[in-house]
Amino acid sequence: MKKEELLAGIGAAIVEGRKSKTEALAKEAVKSKLDLTEVIEKGCVPGIQKVGDLWEKGDYFLPELITSAECMKAAMAVFQPELDKANIKTKTQGKVVIGTVEGDIHDIGKNLVASMLSASGFDVIDLGADVKLEKFIEKAEETQADFICLSALLTTTMLGQKRAIEMLKQRNLCGKFKVLVGGAPASQKWADDIGADGYAENAMLAVKAAKRLRGA
Amino acid sequence: MSMTILELIRKRNVLLDGGFGTELIRRGFPQGACPESWNVERPEAVQEIHKSYFEAGSDAVLTNSFGGSAIKLAAHGLDKRCYELNRAAAMVADEVKPSGGFIGGSIGPTGKFLQPQGEFSEPEFEDAYAEQARGLADGKVDFLLIETQYDLREALCALRAARKVAAVPVFVTMTFNRVPRGFFTLMGNSVAQCLEELEKERVPVVGANCTLDSSDMADLVKVMRERTRLPLIAQANAGKPSLSGDGEVSYSQGLQSYLEQIPRIIENGANVIGGCCGTNPDYIRRMAPLVKKRG
Repeated sequence: MKKEELLAGIGAAIVEGRKSKTEALAKEAVKSKLDLTEVIEKGCVPGIQKVGDLWEKGDYFLPELITSAECMKAAMAVFQPELDKANIKTKTQGKVVIGTVEGDIHDIGKNLVASMLSASGFDVIDLGADVKLEKFIEKAEETQADFICLSALLTTTMLGQKRAIEMLKQRNLCGKFKVLVGGAPASQKWADDIGADGYAENAMLAVKAAKRLRGA
Repeated sequence: MSMTILELIRKRNVLLDGGFGTELIRRGFPQGACPESWNVERPEAVQEIHKSYFEAGSDAVLTNSFGGSAIKLAAHGLDKRCYELNRAAAMVADEVKPSGGFIGGSIGPTGKFLQPQGEFSEPEFEDAYAEQARGLADGKVDFLLIETQYDLREALCALRAARKVAAVPVFVTMTFNRVPRGFFTLMGNSVAQCLEELEKERVPVVGANCTLDSSDMADLVKVMRERTRLPLIAQANAGKPSLSGDGEVSYSQGLQSYLEQIPRIIENGANVIGGCCGTNPDYIRRMAPLVKKRG
């Protein structure tokens, strides 16, 4: 198989959510000794971006997003040992500590953001739901994260987003981590009010916001 | 013998209640606690809310059991008390039911996904919902409302479960997002697909709630009406919530513009109308004359 054909093929397999085909093409890329970082950047990443576009247009929904993210994960599972063997560091987009804030058990949105960030090349540490605010900060410090992503679905628990930022300020850690907030009641205005670095309305926009902040 | 809820729906437009969580919070409900636990711990507060809705004009109110499936309660470590909390939800509501009023057993989504997106199987969902429906039915609800469903498959699990254990009528509302191509659930179920499946399952009353404000809801009702002749439920949010710096919650739509759309919701074909997030007894009081107007 020609390289171009493989790059297009693996991208399409991700868009179509065909996991075994994605895996087979990933293995084929390894066997043909292709430059795997190129396969990732020119094959897989455009695929996942296309998925995001289709979702924003309302052609794709949550099942398609999750399935495509799974395909991406499957491809990376094939590539990673090879990259490690060759001692090639893939360009990580950044390390993210993510979770739903304390008092809030809703995790659908947070999970979606976590999968899309992960599929888009971020290193994601998912702390789950109902996470103590201290835990976000401790984990971010421990792992030297770039981002803290705070999710909240309720108007009562979104105050936790505000408190987390206040805690960062108290500990002089503001600026060390970029803080992104999300969840149904959150908004850009809310993010501005509480001093968060970014807000995103949905999982795809979260990826864009994180990338933008990464560049900043 | 008094009229059943289905008979009333056939006779005239019916008014449901509005938001519940915000009413609990106003009465001191602590952040992060389990709302259903108040059916046992603070029944008088729950009853006060039901009463305020009946007094505002609700024909039927929904029990404080939205998150009462065994799976959802497990997040609070209360899954073992599923039956008890749901039965209590029904009983506390029943105690304040006026003559001619109805109690609907609220059954919200599990918050989890079925395989392959999630880890749960359909039988597991059915068990979790059956336990809840059994409690509500034993507490003497007049009907069950499986509501705010974002996955048609999950809604059908809840429906099967409810019918296995309860003899009362079971209604279903889905929650739809507005996207450029129309209205779809989070899982991508279209309006047509939902209505077709629910009609096939002989659900007597179907509809939509939450997510949309009353203007988008009016548009959605029109789309639903083109697809079914069943009585339609519509319960819109008062827009999107926002929180001011000092912790004051407000909803983007507000009372006035919310109310302006209620006649359109009715004209477009809704028969059972209520509020959802951001609405309160004031909304319902103002909606009552619009909904119950005859002819």
